[in-house]
Amino acid sequence: MNLGDKALIEALLLYGAIAGAVYALLALGFTLIYGVAEVVNMAHGALFMLGAYMFFAFSLAPKNPPLWIASPFALESGWALIVAIIAVGIVGSIIYVLVINPVIKDALASIVVTVALAIVFQQAVYIEFGGVHRAVFPFVEGSTTILGVTMTYTKLLAFGASLILFAIISLFIGKSKIGKAMRATAQDREAAMLMGINTTRICMFTMFISASLAALAGILISGSTTQVATPQMWLTPLSMSFAIVILGGLGSIKGTLIGAFIVGYAENAVALYLPGGSFLKGVVALAVMVSVLLIRPKGLFGKRIELEE
Amino acid sequence: MAATYLKRAYSSFLTHVVDVPPRLLSLLFLVLLVCTPVILSPTALSIYFLGVLITANIMAIFAASWDLLVGRAGQISLGHAIFFGIGAYTSALLVRYVGFPLWITIPIGVAVGTAVAVPIGFPCLRVKGPYLALVTMALPLIATGILYYFRDWTGGEQGLVVPRFFPFIENLYQQRVAEYYLTLLVLLISSIILYKIASSKTGIVFVSILDDEVGAKACGINVTKYKLLAFAIGALFASLAGSLQAHLIYLAGPASFSLSLSFYAIIITIFGGIGTIYGAIAASYIIYFLDQYALTMVVKVPTEWHPLIFIVVVIIFVVKWPRGIARFVVEDGLKELSKEREIEERGKRIWKKYKKKKDEKMKASQ
Repeated sequence: MNLGDKALIEALLLYGAIAGAVYALLALGFTLIYGVAEVVNMAHGALFMLGAYMFFAFSLAPKNPPLWIASPFALESGWALIVAIIAVGIVGSIIYVLVINPVIKDALASIVVTVALAIVFQQAVYIEFGGVHRAVFPFVEGSTTILGVTMTYTKLLAFGASLILFAIISLFIGKSKIGKAMRATAQDREAAMLMGINTTRICMFTMFISASLAALAGILISGSTTQVATPQMWLTPLSMSFAIVILGGLGSIKGTLIGAFIVGYAENAVALYLPGGSFLKGVVALAVMVSVLLIRPKGLFGKRIELEE
Repeated sequence: MAATYLKRAYSSFLTHVVDVPPRLLSLLFLVLLVCTPVILSPTALSIYFLGVLITANIMAIFAASWDLLVGRAGQISLGHAIFFGIGAYTSALLVRYVGFPLWITIPIGVAVGTAVAVPIGFPCLRVKGPYLALVTMALPLIATGILYYFRDWTGGEQGLVVPRFFPFIENLYQQRVAEYYLTLLVLLISSIILYKIASSKTGIVFVSILDDEVGAKACGINVTKYKLLAFAIGALFASLAGSLQAHLIYLAGPASFSLSLSFYAIIITIFGGIGTIYGAIAASYIIYFLDQYALTMVVKVPTEWHPLIFIVVVIIFVVKWPRGIARFVVEDGLKELSKEREIEERGKRIWKKYKKKKDEKMKASQ
């Protein structure tokens, strides 16, 4: 990043905010499926990656870039976005029913199975699209200058869309009937089952939302920040969502939002201020996560104390 | 004197090894492994095949150490590769910058790996279950970030080039054979140690922590101490595997910290049967034989399909059949066999007794 010292603080402010908003969206899905089904979904990053690739596969090829392959389903950006999100959501529900639900009681088995799924998706994408970086193009052209920092419209769009969607999802969980059923399942699975809630179906639906959010975050991040998609890109968002969710407290939506902004700012501060800091960008989030787990394992807003049974 | 001793050793070998089907099977497998280089002729294919077996030996140590930590002590670790990487890099850095010979750096690498396990393990083991999995998974990623940050020392993405084990052997085939026997010997020793630990009193304490930590605590077991011990033992053998591997591929690279390496140990262990140390070792050979030889040389499946196939198999194993292959062979197959034989012998004994009684009755009646 080529910035003068004067613009540094403004850049940090803006980049941190954008990163925080998109990370909040990413981590919301992770925290939802943990809260409702008590599954630590290690395949969350893979769904993120799958989202970016689905968008890539469904969308219309632009003029003549070398890294773009001709798509059989050439859709407009908006439609491609919706189709990709729904497709990944359906993939998420299918893997929940087929693979995660049978082992949901066993912590080790569910972790191993979801990491395995992540690697399955990585290999499947690798076989289908190849290991090369695929360019993901911004959906909106043009840029503007805010506080002396150049901002592309895509980044602003990602920021706005993330915050609006976050608000919609948290309202949905708080107010709607399905949201109430989700919260009931999260509180006590057996009791919810006795009250006539089909908990498996609720968990499946939660997985659908969670996977769709991961896919959307994947499309937004790969479209606005990195602009490439690779089969190995699932690990960074996964560790990011861990860090955020653990910082905010597993299963807490408010904590997720605050944790996402803290991690977003911390990461950008390290990248901007430390020499060679971009190598440590991913490390910051993980270091935050490890230190939170060791000092205050329930996170900032977590209710459960996980040290006891 | 010597003759009686030998005779006694022979008879104890017969009763303790030959008469127990699982032990006989592992003995036969060991004999097969020892004989492999003798059977092979020095061609390019057999050099490749020996390379596959060497990797299988190393990964067997690594997977068995993961199995002791996770399958026995129940401490879910997804970042076991950190000790592998620490072993590899310590050995490589010492060779490169201090100039120690290999035979000193590998023990130092192992010692450093084990020593690092204690300060890493002490805070990590405060958390449980999925949280422990997350923290341990983060550790190698942090280590990789640090590795790239100090790229002037560690070589960054390229890693460090390290000398091979037997620089004085010119012939590549002979060198492979020497490396093969070395790794086989190390594997044999470490697997015996790991199995002995797992079946010792300490091993039983590990299983009690896995089954019910609170109960173990209530019985007066110092849970933290034993968890830390399991962590240190796991780290010891993982860093041994790491430092050996670095000298076998002549490179200590960031791949030795990768998630896929940690996950390969998990694949192997689950395939073999989690919690059985021997399962991980047997599965290491099966998986490497299938992956690098059968699917590459015989069936010729494209390389990128291999992880997909194995991982789908592992998912099926976890979901449908968590007992694993070794348990199936040893507990269901061979133990059934020995049980049958026992029943047969008991039947014969009872029949003899019955016959004797009958004869006596006959005599009495006459």
